Parts: sequence; structure tokens; C-alpha cells
Amino acid sequence: MTATRLVFDAAAALAILFACVMVVHRNPVKSVLALVVSFFALAVAYVLLAAPLIAAIQVIVYAGAILVLFLFVLMLLNVPEEGRQGSSRPIHQVLSGAAILVFGAALLALLRSHGATRAEPAAFSAAGPSDVATTSRLLFSEHLLSFEALSVLLLAALVGAFALARREDQA
Amino acid sequence: MNLTDWLIAALRVLVPVLAIMLVLPIPMWLERRGAGLIQDRPGPNRVGPFGLLQPVADAVKFFMKEDLIPSNTDRFLFVLAPAIALFSALTTFAVIPYGPAVTIDGREFPLVGADVSIGILYLFALTSLSVYGIVLAGWSSNNKFSLIGGIRSSAQIISYELAMTTAAAGVILAAGSFRLTEVVSMQTGTWLGFIPRWNVFPQFLGFVVFYVATFAETNRVPFDLPEAEAELVGGYHTEYSAFKFAMFFMAEYVNMIVVSALTVTLFFGGWSLPGYEPQGWVGVIVSALVFFAKTAIFVWIFIWVRWTLPRFRYDQLMRLGWKALLPIALLNLLWVAFLVLKGWLP
Repeated sequence: MTATRLVFDAAAALAILFACVMVVHRNPVKSVLALVVSFFALAVAYVLLAAPLIAAIQVIVYAGAILVLFLFVLMLLNVPEEGRQGSSRPIHQVLSGAAILVFGAALLALLRSHGATRAEPAAFSAAGPSDVATTSRLLFSEHLLSFEALSVLLLAALVGAFALARREDQA
Repeated sequence: MNLTDWLIAALRVLVPVLAIMLVLPIPMWLERRGAGLIQDRPGPNRVGPFGLLQPVADAVKFFMKEDLIPSNTDRFLFVLAPAIALFSALTTFAVIPYGPAVTIDGREFPLVGADVSIGILYLFALTSLSVYGIVLAGWSSNNKFSLIGGIRSSAQIISYELAMTTAAAGVILAAGSFRLTEVVSMQTGTWLGFIPRWNVFPQFLGFVVFYVATFAETNRVPFDLPEAEAELVGGYHTEYSAFKFAMFFMAEYVNMIVVSALTVTLFFGGWSLPGYEPQGWVGVIVSALVFFAKTAIFVWIFIWVRWTLPRFRYDQLMRLGWKALLPIALLNLLWVAFLVLKGWLP
């Protein structure tokens, strides 16, 4: 177990831990902050997997822009802490228990088939396809169609959000 | 790794941070003396010659003050916020090259904290995190003035970051690399024998957009809406006192130095001096001094602008950011793409 592997495991554990904090915390602002830490830990993992470009974009786009917007909206609307909800109906408890069991089983199966090997990921040592030029070349040749389709999807979402938010009388 | 390697690694990490901490009192002094000069009054002139020891006296004062945490604040975030602000400001300098490569034991070391392949992206990533310091300070203070300051800051930084990165994209396109050492090396030499090959000449629009956006990113006048004292008391740092306030104060000046150094690196050739080929240790020292002098000029412009211009209104700020700077930055990007396509750049 090398030092890199140790840091990687620590970053992965932090990412998962703070993702859980994000889900269970009652204060929405604290939830967003937990997500920031989780994304940052994920960026560390990307760096160790020799993908510094993805790591930088992860921090700039997600931690630096999208979550700041989340925080902005939460603060502007002054969303209060969630209160504890009353006891849910038995059918809810049974269903959520079953969902946790199914998810856990799926995760375990996945780990046994892929993650159980103790080998180091290849990218730890070798310089992988992380180069900016390589990434952009792939983006604009092999994945051009999906790349452009994604931008059209984002544009559609933008227009949709605008149409939903616009009041009728301003039409 | 042997001892020399460890020593070099330690120096490369420590020099940028220590250098910035050492020069930090200079802009603080310059700000107050400059304000005095512009407003036709002496400014601080009692502590040391020309008031030069005033920043030291200020630091001692900050240490002596009572460290107050108001009740009903979120204590953890209240303490964390100034630390985030100062941390993200100090770490950004790591990727900015401040001199040519040094040869030690037959190996070349560029004078930069970390010569990473995504240099400028790393810088933008950290500056975009700096907004958390301000936003969290505003929110955790549990004070409506602080909260408004924090909200204004997040909206402002997101808006201007877009224009700033688009303007910087022109430089990246011309250099063909995110690596800041390559951005500097492409700007050495001259056109026609007397015009320095600085990016500011072919990309003047990009430079203007970038430089205006840096004022908004550092929350300086005329874009200091987050701390507008006439309407928000002190904005996000209203509830802060003693050394926690000093940390915000230091972060503002560190940010000022860093964006000035970045402007110099992207648009004014970094440490290079046209017509001068740095050689040996003398060359290293001369180049570092050139870099220092260029950065100092832009830090002075920050101070000059602060004591000359009034503050913008918030709607004016947003209109300028989205309707003027962003389209101009896109236009600049198109222009640079045209130049690169024609083969006129670099």
C-alpha cells in the first residue's frame, strides 16, 4: 500500500462520508457545504488518478459555481431547518428498508466483481490520457455528437426554466 | 530523493508563500499613504520614517483586541470563514512563475511553486472557492447586513468570473497551453524589433475585460458592494473583530497582489523584459525584480482607482458584467481565434 493509495482511500472515504452528511443534515446550508467537501475530495481522487483537468473542472464548475448558486438561493430564500417529521406509515418504513437492502446487495455484488482486487489502479503511476490536448481532441472527434447533444440539452433546460419562471401577464 | 531534492522542494513550496507574506505590509502602507496623497493630507506619518512601520503597529493592535464571537452565530462556520478566505488567497500564488529557470546540479528548475499542466485552471478553481469565505462569513454572522453582503458577493463573483475566464481563454488560445510558464515564454522577444510580444497588444480588449473583472473579483472599489459601508455597515465582516477581521483584511490584499501578478503574467510578459536575456543568478534576480516592479504598478492602480472612483450601484454592476464585459470577452476570443487561424499568433 503506497502513500498515494492511502491518500486516495482517505479522499474516497471523505467523499462518501460527506455525501452521507449532505443527505442527513437538517440544515440546508450545512448540506450544501458538506457537498462542497465531498466534491473537493472527489477532485483529489481525480488528481491521484492522473486526471488533473477533470479535477480542476470539477472544482471550478461544481464546487465553485453550481454550489455557490445553491447557497445563493438558499440564503436568498432563507430556507429554515427541516423539522423532524411525524412517525411515517408502516408501509413507508417497510419500503425504505427494502430499498436499502436492495441497494446494499447491489453495491456488494459490484464490489465483489470489480473492487475486490487489491491492485493499484493503472493511472496511479503512468501518465494517463489526462493531457488537455488529448482530452480536447477526443471531445471534438470521437465524442463530438454526444458533446453537442449535451449542450443542446443544457440549452433546452435553460429555455424551459425561463419559460416556467416567466409570469403569464408578461408575455 | 536526497537532501538537495528535499531542500529544493521545500524552497519551491515556501518561497511564494513567504514572499507574499513579506511584501504584504507594502500595499497596506501604500494604500494609506496613497489615500493621503490623493486626498491632499499626510496619511500615517508617526510610526517610523514616512509611517513605514504603520502596518506593524496595526498587526500588533489586531493581536491585542478582544476576540469577539457574537451570540446566535454559527460558531464553527464563523471561525472557519476567515480561514477559508485567507487560505484560498495564499495558495493561488503557487502556480505563478516569478523568474526564469534555475540550473542546480545540471537540472533545470523553473522559478514557480508548482509548474502544473493545468496552471491557470488551478488558479481559477481556487479563486472560485474564495467566495465561500465571504458567503459563509455573511451567513454565519446571523446579521442581516452581513447576509446581504455575502449574497451580493456570491452573485458578483459568479457574474464576473465568467467574463474573467473568457478573457483569459484568449491568452490560453494564443499560448496553446494552460501552463503559465509557457504563457510567459511565448511573450518573450519583440515584434518589428521594438514592440514587446506581450499579449496586451493583440488582445487589448481581453486585457480591459480581465482587468475590470479582477476589481470585481477582489471586491475592491468601484465594485465593493459586498462591504459598502454607507448601506451595509461593513457587509460580510460587520461582526468580525480582532485577528479574524485581520485575516479578511490580509486576504483582500493578498488577492490584490495575486490578481496583479496574474494580469502581469497573462498580458504583460510576466518576469520577462524585452531585449534582456537572463543569464545566471544575476539574470534570475533581475527577472524577479522586473516581475515585482510590474506587479507593483498594477497594485498601485488598484489603490489609485479606489481613492478616485465612486462606488457603482448594484444594477449597474450587473449590467456591466453581463451586457458589456461578457460580449466583449467573447468578441476578443473570436478575434484571437482568427489571429491563431491565420498563423499571426503567437
